[in-house]
Amino acid sequence: MKIPAFGGTRQKKPKSPRRKAKFQIQPLSRWHPRIRQLLGWMVTLGSVLLCLLLLPTRLPGMELLGIGPNWLLIWVVAWSVKRPVFSGALAGIVLGLLQDSMTSPNPTHALSLGIVGILTGLLQKQRFIEEDFISIAVIVFGMAVLAETIFGLQLTLIGNERKVTDIWTYYQRVALASAILSSLWAPVLYYPLNRWWQKMKLLEQ
Amino acid sequence: MVTIRRWWDHKGLQIGLLALVVGSAWILRQTQGELVLETYYAITRPLEMLQPGPTPEERIRDARILELQTRIVDLESEKTNLQGFLGYVEKEPLASRPIPARVIGRSADHWWQQVTLNRGANVGIQEGFIVKADGGLVGLVQSVTPNTSRVLLISDLKSQVGVSISRTAAKGVLRGDSSAEAVLEFYEKVPNVKIGDLVSTSTYSQKFPSGLAVGRIKSLDLKKLPASVAKIDLFPPIRSLDWVAVYPKPENQESVNEVPQKSK
Repeated sequence: MKIPAFGGTRQKKPKSPRRKAKFQIQPLSRWHPRIRQLLGWMVTLGSVLLCLLLLPTRLPGMELLGIGPNWLLIWVVAWSVKRPVFSGALAGIVLGLLQDSMTSPNPTHALSLGIVGILTGLLQKQRFIEEDFISIAVIVFGMAVLAETIFGLQLTLIGNERKVTDIWTYYQRVALASAILSSLWAPVLYYPLNRWWQKMKLLEQ
Repeated sequence: MVTIRRWWDHKGLQIGLLALVVGSAWILRQTQGELVLETYYAITRPLEMLQPGPTPEERIRDARILELQTRIVDLESEKTNLQGFLGYVEKEPLASRPIPARVIGRSADHWWQQVTLNRGANVGIQEGFIVKADGGLVGLVQSVTPNTSRVLLISDLKSQVGVSISRTAAKGVLRGDSSAEAVLEFYEKVPNVKIGDLVSTSTYSQKFPSGLAVGRIKSLDLKKLPASVAKIDLFPPIRSLDWVAVYPKPENQESVNEVPQKSK
């Protein structure tokens, strides 16, 4: 039995007729640019769909007091952290509309997620904050509290058969649980997405 | 003109994609997420096999429950006989065939208290249908797709149920507060109730049929203004719902009470 050597040299094994050379996928840099762009978009949309499908679940480990992480918020932060403010705002609004489709149209989530996108874009992370394990968790923590506050305000302003005291009593629980869970699970979503987008950006240039 | 043409060549694709994305998000919002929910249902369907949970029959085998069931049947037949004597016409009772369903998902945001069921329009569920679980009333169907339906729980901040105390017929409104308890606001300042009284839906409720169990009084606050308030322990396990039964909307919404209400 041959022991594979460390280092770059390939072992020349006699190939039996059954074991033909495996079909090699060409590295991304050799792809047609349009197809690569399409793939990039599909991965982005696929990640949004995955976040949407994760929202109604309460898997063990991803739940605190009946509340799960705010996946769409994590996605908006991951997107807007290294992109211009307008792009972040748009992503927030689109994802807010999608979250409305899964719950109820009013009050809308587009406002809270849009503001989160704007503020994260304003942070200009690549200029001021280094790439750190903690920084993204802290940003998501703050943004989660902000998003729940904005939604609580929306509910209060609408009125509509809800008692204001009940809203703000529940708000304390929700803001804390959502912020903790979202900031803990943020790196899981952020790192793969970030690497993918950085790779795409490098290949575009 | 040349510059506009060049700008369009440059940015046209981006703007087109952007419009597509925003448009589809809006459409999804208007259809209340039908595509996403159907995908979710398709994905969780194989996972349901892994957690069958107790079937309704097994749970009923408890001897005490059977004894109580017999008692209920006795009381129901006695009631029907007495009503026949008085010429009383009641709203259509909740006896029709229920549709069993399982909870496959909870609410997709943090403020709404909703659950998603794995049965939808294909088996006849429509908006406004009543949802019950072991323990009593759980909620109302809010929106329906071919294979799933979304239920607004009674623990939601927006839900209001007209209820009455079974023992003394004191009436009030039950509001959810996003937890496993609910708040009951009575219509009177000093209602005839005490701690431990059982609460069920009243004949005044527009959306729910009467007589559905809801919970039990846990604490009373008779000093609140404008009317007294009580905290109710809800019977159904709102936090960990699994199997539920969906009943059609009650037919006669107006309470056809031929007998005048003698006691309040």
